[in-house]
This record gives sequence, C-alpha cells and structure tokens, in this order.
Amino acid sequence: MKRFLSLLLVLAMALSMTVSASADSVQDALAAAAAMTNEELYEKAKAEMAAGAQLNFYSTTSFAEKAANNFMAAYPELKLVYAEIDDVETYTILTNTIGSGVKDSADMALTQNGPDLKTYLLDEGLAYTYFPESLKDVVEEKNQDPAIVTYINSLLIYHNGNGSVGLTNVWQLTEEEWKDKVFFKNPTNETVNINFLIMLTSPEWNAKLEAAYQSRYGKAWEKGEFETCALEFIDGFLKNVNYTYTSASKMAAGIASGAPGNMGLFVFSKLRKVDEADRSNLTIVQFENAVEGFSGFMYPIYATVAKDTDCPYTCALFINYLLSEEGFAGEKSWNSSQGYYSPNKTIQKPEGLDDQPYEYWTDCLVFEDLTYINDHFVEVYEFIATRVG
Amino acid sequence: MRKPQPNSSMREPLLYRLRAFVTKPANLLLVFFLCVLAVLSLMPMVTMLTNMFTIHLGTEKRLYRMPTGSWTLVHFQKLFEGSDWSRVNFWEPLKHSFIVAFGAGILGIAIGGSIAWFVTRSDLKCKKFISSVFVFPYMMPAWTLALFWTNMFQNSQVGGGNIGMIESIFGVCMPEWFVYGLFPMIVVIGLHYSPFAYLLIGGILKNMDATLEESATILKASRWTIIRRVTIPIVMPAILSTFLLIFSSGFSSYTVPVFLGSAVKCYTLSTKMRALIQAGYQGQGYIIAFVSILLGCIILGINQWFTGKRKSFTTVTGKSGQVSLVKLRKANWPITIVLIVFICFVAIMPLISFALESVIRQPGNYSLSNMTLHFWIGTEDSAYETGMIAGILLNTTMWKAVGRQVLLALVVALIVGTSGMLIGYACVRRRGTRLSRFVESLAFFPYLMPAMAFGTIYLAVATSENFKWLYGTFALLVIVSAVKFLPFASRSGVNSMLQIAPEIEEAAIIFGVPWHKRMLRILFPIQKSSILSGYLLPVISVMREVALFTLLVPYARYMLTTMLFSFNETGYAQYGSAVTLLIILIIMLINSLTNKLTGASFDKGIGG
Repeated sequence: MKRFLSLLLVLAMALSMTVSASADSVQDALAAAAAMTNEELYEKAKAEMAAGAQLNFYSTTSFAEKAANNFMAAYPELKLVYAEIDDVETYTILTNTIGSGVKDSADMALTQNGPDLKTYLLDEGLAYTYFPESLKDVVEEKNQDPAIVTYINSLLIYHNGNGSVGLTNVWQLTEEEWKDKVFFKNPTNETVNINFLIMLTSPEWNAKLEAAYQSRYGKAWEKGEFETCALEFIDGFLKNVNYTYTSASKMAAGIASGAPGNMGLFVFSKLRKVDEADRSNLTIVQFENAVEGFSGFMYPIYATVAKDTDCPYTCALFINYLLSEEGFAGEKSWNSSQGYYSPNKTIQKPEGLDDQPYEYWTDCLVFEDLTYINDHFVEVYEFIATRVG
Repeated sequence: MRKPQPNSSMREPLLYRLRAFVTKPANLLLVFFLCVLAVLSLMPMVTMLTNMFTIHLGTEKRLYRMPTGSWTLVHFQKLFEGSDWSRVNFWEPLKHSFIVAFGAGILGIAIGGSIAWFVTRSDLKCKKFISSVFVFPYMMPAWTLALFWTNMFQNSQVGGGNIGMIESIFGVCMPEWFVYGLFPMIVVIGLHYSPFAYLLIGGILKNMDATLEESATILKASRWTIIRRVTIPIVMPAILSTFLLIFSSGFSSYTVPVFLGSAVKCYTLSTKMRALIQAGYQGQGYIIAFVSILLGCIILGINQWFTGKRKSFTTVTGKSGQVSLVKLRKANWPITIVLIVFICFVAIMPLISFALESVIRQPGNYSLSNMTLHFWIGTEDSAYETGMIAGILLNTTMWKAVGRQVLLALVVALIVGTSGMLIGYACVRRRGTRLSRFVESLAFFPYLMPAMAFGTIYLAVATSENFKWLYGTFALLVIVSAVKFLPFASRSGVNSMLQIAPEIEEAAIIFGVPWHKRMLRILFPIQKSSILSGYLLPVISVMREVALFTLLVPYARYMLTTMLFSFNETGYAQYGSAVTLLIILIIMLINSLTNKLTGASFDKGIGG
C-alpha cells in the first residue's frame, strides 16, 4: 500500500511538473541545445517531428522561405511551414497568438524592429532568445542576444541621368536644393526608418552629425531652436523628404525610371527588383564617394523562439542553419543578393555582386541598437511624428 | 396588508400582447437579429470603447508608466490637448477626412444618380452598354483605381518625376493638385462608389410609379419641378443611405489616401490611426476610430430622422407598372457620347491599363519588345519571381487563394443577403418601434467601424481562451465578413421593403397566405432586383476586401486580395495588375452566372 501511495505521489508530482513547466522546459531545451552539435540536434528534432510537431515559422522576408526549403532538403525528416507576415502586423499577430493555444501559431519568428521585439515578446516572456555555443567565436557578442540572422542595409542611391549629384555631406540633404527630391518611406509607417532616425539622436551619431555640420558650414553647431544637432538634422531632413513611394521596391523602380537627380534612402537589396534596363541609372552614393555623416543605415533580422513551441530543438537547429554558410549562402538565399549580410564573420559576399562585406559598412551606416531605441523611443517618436505632417 | 394581486383582466392584455407579438414574424426576426447582432456587432464596439480608456502593452506602458490594462483618460488628453501633436495627428487629418468623405459622397451620388436617372427614366441610347460597364469601378479594389490614377497622370513635374500615360501620349503635365492630394482622393473614392449610388438609386427609380410623374405633368409642372418635387423626394431615402455609405467608406478609406496623399504629405484620420496604432499609441488610434463611427452615427441619425419624418416612401403600390421615359430628343446622342467616353475612361481604361501593366517588364516602356506573358503563364523560375513560381495562371498557391476568396464571397453573400432581406422586412414592418430602430442601427454599426480596427478586435477575440478554435480558420473570415458587410444588404433590404405598400402583404394575409409564401411569392418577386443586389453587393465587397483580412488570414497568400496587396507593396506591379484583372473577371463571371440563373445582375435590375 505504501509503495502504491509513493508511486501515486511521484506520478502526481511528475504530472504537475509537466503541466506547469512547459515554458521552463522550452528555455531548458534551448539552453541544452546551445551546447549540442548539429547531429545531436537533428536526432532531437527528429524525435519532435515523430511526436507530431512541425516548425511553424513566421517571417517578414521571403528569402526565409527559400532558406527553409534548403533546410528541409538538408534535413529531410524535418517539416517547416513558412508563413509570410507583413512587417506592420507582425507583433500584433505574434502577441495575440503565442501562448494562446491556437492551431499553427508561431514556433519561431524572424522579425525586424528590435525595440518592439523586446517590448512585446521578450519582456513579456512570449519568446526566448537562443544562440549556439559553437558560433560564439565567429559572431560578435552584440549580435548574439537576441540572435541576428541577417543584416539588411538601406543606402543613399540616386538617379545619375544628370551625372553626379555631388553628395559629400549629409547636411546637404537638409538644404533647399534637395526640397522634395529625397525619397524616403514615411517613418511613421515604416518601423526601421523611424528606428534609424531615433538612432541619430544617440551621443555617437549626434557627435558625427556635429562634425559633419562643422565641415559643411565651417562653424560649430550651436544649441538654439533644437536641443541637439541630431534633432536639427532630422527636422531639416524631414522638411525635404518626399513620400511619393509607399514601398522600397516601388522607390527603387520609381527612382530608376524617374527624374534624374532624385535621391532615395531605401533598402539596397531592392535593386534586384529594378528592371535591368533601368539599373544603370542608379548610383550608390557610398560607392562613388564617402559621405560625411552617414551613407545609410543597417537593421537586423532577429530570430526568436516562441515560449510554447513543441519543437525547440528543431528551432535551434534551424537557427544554427541560418547562421551557417550552408544556410546563409545556399542556393537563392540571402547571400546571393546585394544588401544582406551575415553576422557570421566567416561568410563573405560572393564576388561580382557589386557589394561589400559586412565590415565595410560598419563605419558608414547607422546601426540599429535596440536598447538605445527602446529607451528613447517615445521622446523622439513624437518629435518625428509631428514633423512628418 | 395584502399586496394587490394582478387580476385576470390585467394579465390578459399582457398575454394577448405577448401572443400578438410572437405571432408576427417580423417581431421574431427582430428579436433573433437583436441577439445575434448584440454579440457580433456590439461586442467589437464595446471592445473598442474599452481600448480607448486603457493602457496597452508597449509604448503606452513605457510612456505613462502604468500597468497594462489600467484605466485612464490620458489618451484623450494627449489627442485633444491643443498641441502640435494634436493638430498633426487629429485636427488636420480630421479636416482632410471630412473633405474627402463629403466630396466623395457628393460626387458619387451626382455621377451615379445622374447616370441612374438617364438609364431608367430617359430614352438614352446604348443603355445596355452603359449599364453593364459603369459598375466596373466598383468591382475593383479602390486602391487599384488610385494606382490607375497615378499611372495615368503622374508626370515629370511631380512626385518622383515618373512619366505617366497622359504625358507619354499627349505631352501634357497635370499640376500636382490634380495628381496627388485631396482632389484625386475625392475623385477616386467618388468614382469607386458611384456605381454603388447608381445601383441603389437606379433600383428605386426603376420601380417608381410613373403615375406620380404623370400626374405632375398633367398639372403642368415643368420637368425640373417634377424632378425636384417628385423624383428626388421619392429617391431621397436611397440618396441619404448611399451618401451615408460613401461618406463612411471615404472617411475610413486607408489605401487611397496612402497612395494619393503621401506624396504631398496629406494625411487623413485613417492613415493617422494606423500610424498611431503601429507606433503603440493604440488608445489614441481607437479614439480616432471612434470619431469616424461617431460621425457616421450623426449621418445615420439624420437619415433616420428623415425617413422617420416621412410617412411613406412607397413607390410600388400595385396600381401602375408603367414607366414613361423622358425624351431627350436632340440632346440624346451628345449625352450618350459624353457618357460613353466618360464611362470608357473610368471603367475600361483601368482594365486596359492593368492588362498592359501585367505584360511589360520595364515600367513605362510600352513597346512590343518590352512585353512578356511571363507574369501570366511563365514557367521558369526567373529573377522576377517572389516566392511564386513564374506565371500566376500556373501557380497552385494562387489558385487555392482564388478558390478561398470565391467560396468566401459566395458563403458570405448567402448569409448576408438572406439576413439583409429579413432585417429589411422586419424593420420596415415594425417601423417606428424602438426594437426596429435598434436592430437597424446594430446591423449598420460594423460599416462605420474601420476595417482595420474591426480586424484587430476580432483577432483579439479569436485568440482568447474561449474562441481560439476560430483563429486561422475559414469560419472566422466568414463571420467577420458577414458582420462587416451586413450593412450593405440590410440597407438594400430596408430600402426595397420601404417601397412596397403594406396593403399588398395585408391582402395576402386576409387570404391566409402563410408568411414564407408571402415572402417568396409576393415580396421577393416584386423587389427581386433590389433584393438580389443585397446578395450581389457582398460578393463584390468580399472579392476586393483587404484590410479586414490582413490580420486574420494565417498567411499573406491565403486570400487573393491579401496576395494582391502583398504584390503591390513589394513592388511586383505586373503580378499585382494581373491579379487585379483576374479579380474583376471573376466578379464579372459571378455576375453573369447570376444573370443566367436568376435573370438578375448588378446592372440588369436597373436598366440594361
């Protein structure tokens, strides 16, 4: 009888632990997965699939689907289901579905806009970060938590029909001659654009803008109407900006076939969507000459794992894959296009692509820092939103 | 002291009243729809109201340092405090929205009503062509018309300096106000909804008793006096309903202001609502949504006051079915030609434009050497693909999306059309009662709510503990669409039933004809064209809806329209144009099949 009662007690404890600790077990599994080899992870992942799981992953980038197809070819017993979601709706959908128990909710997500990722998913415990031990030496620490699977850059690019526009200093873009000739997606509709503008107010970029100001106007910037140099730049820049194009692809194609001399600040990789006949009309400012201030900005795509996934090891293996050369530089994947950069320093851009490696861009582009943006979002957002009109 | 007991003489009237109440089908229908709509229509309203007074996760929580879900008035203070924030995010967009909605309402009625009058009340030539083709703009998603507008009128002097068709062919550069801003928004939304005005007003004009006008003629009233004192008052309920629908649609339109307003920094409340919600200011976003509902309610109130003021709008009395057409004489051909040219421009040109855009590789280059059928029937995986394998006609994902969209349209039409007719019947038969007014208003509420806010609220509901089985299912799309598009059918139902004199049904009651036979054999046949428009309008609405589905579909390529929006957003204009054309062809096919099977269609019921 005693033995029976003990057994019952143990069973009850085990059951209660199983029920109450599913979130912990995902975190534990991810922690364990970080130290495993890909072969070990594959075995674990196969067991998850055998138990009826499939990896539903949500992404805002269509290249992720190609990576998923390549992954399934490399690991044939695993099943990934890709769901493309719009950047604008990403966090609304994820916060409502993760943990709600709805069918086919996300097991992992590839998302942009770090501050929202932190606020909506990580701080609320809806998603966890994961990074493999084996790649810690080849990926900078700042790119590990949350794991960045690719960087994407937006660059200053112009129509060269009238020759060079002679842009050597970003303050030129705030001057009258550029009125309505600088094309930029409305930052209140495009999260990465507003994040870029907020980053300009950071001490580091404010200082760079002050230096560029001094260089352009021959005098030091002085506090007046604006509290900081960055705010004055943002004010002047937004006064000149034209929001005709509502997507980066349209902007790329529109500037390429539009009026000579027009300048855009848009996603570099969208050049692949410009018809070949028009592509020679475009010049990337940074490839022509260095610009005092910046030549554009760089934002990351983060990978996180949902707290209620039933396949954490498959998620871990897929993230490993995306960070590896096989995954990042596989057929038709990110590395085959301009404008995508792996944080894994061992992966280089292929030759003949008219692009530069990740390191090249680190000094001339404004990088997204989710902590800074998160801390200063409200004050700068309101400054920008009232100037967008 | 004993309490006074109700005696039998007091109870009996109550019982009689109750019995009398339940024996009238109209009452039972009203109670049924009251219960259903209270859950499906009122619930999102309540959720939205709650959201205006609570702190949300994210920006609000950070900004106001209050826990998520706590009650506050801070969103109101922030939005109305009179600062730059308030001006930029509320007052100026409000002004723009009002101008666009009002202008589009007037323009839609002016164009749709005039053409409806010419087609139904005059001896105009080529009626069949005009009637069939004029409804095309309503079949297209509004933003595709906006794209057509920019494709036509953009020029080297405005926006990005991209050359449009007019400059390309005639060398003419239209001024900026013509290409971008409030003017094109009014024109595009007005044109988009003018077929709607044509259908609703034309339906009434067609069924109008000719003796009313003839009597006025006998009394020597001038043609203008007859129009002003007889025709317009009779169609006034339809005019007001149409104005209300166009005004609300124009007010909450999102995509048209984005495409036509962004270039000149002209924003409306709907674009600001989306921007605020996206930036984490959900409370203020929902207040903006509420303001648009409030304005709609005011117009709804005016509409109800007007229709309540008049004792009757009966135009079908069973006494005369003759229609005497106004002879246009010498003006006939000139008017016909002007109308055909106008209709070709707004209805045929967009189709030609979409067809052309779907076969050219390089934008703006319309030479034969630049043309390809790759986007329709291409088989190779080329640089143009976007996860799609080449041509849309050979892509299984696309065909699955087509299947879902058509099935959804048909299921929703069946539910909404039937419900609309029954609501119309019940509300008209019990007109003047509180219950009737309440059900009519409840059925209309979802129309006033911006589709995006509606989708957001239903997403929250479908992911809550009790309803999570609904999330990502087709059933959720059916429910949401049925509620959102019920106003079309209920308006159509009310308008058509208002025209039928109660004596017609009363005569059948005297002969002991049961209710279902009265509906099927008398009321439905009399107002067939008008009632069938209540079935057909939701088909069009579902076939071109995007904002409502964006949050509720499991993935972007689940429905044809979400796929189309994705193509337009990602810059695949050729695929986008091909899908737009396909949507219009599918709607025309459904229209034509309905015509073959029932003898009714969007246009035939009026004048074709």
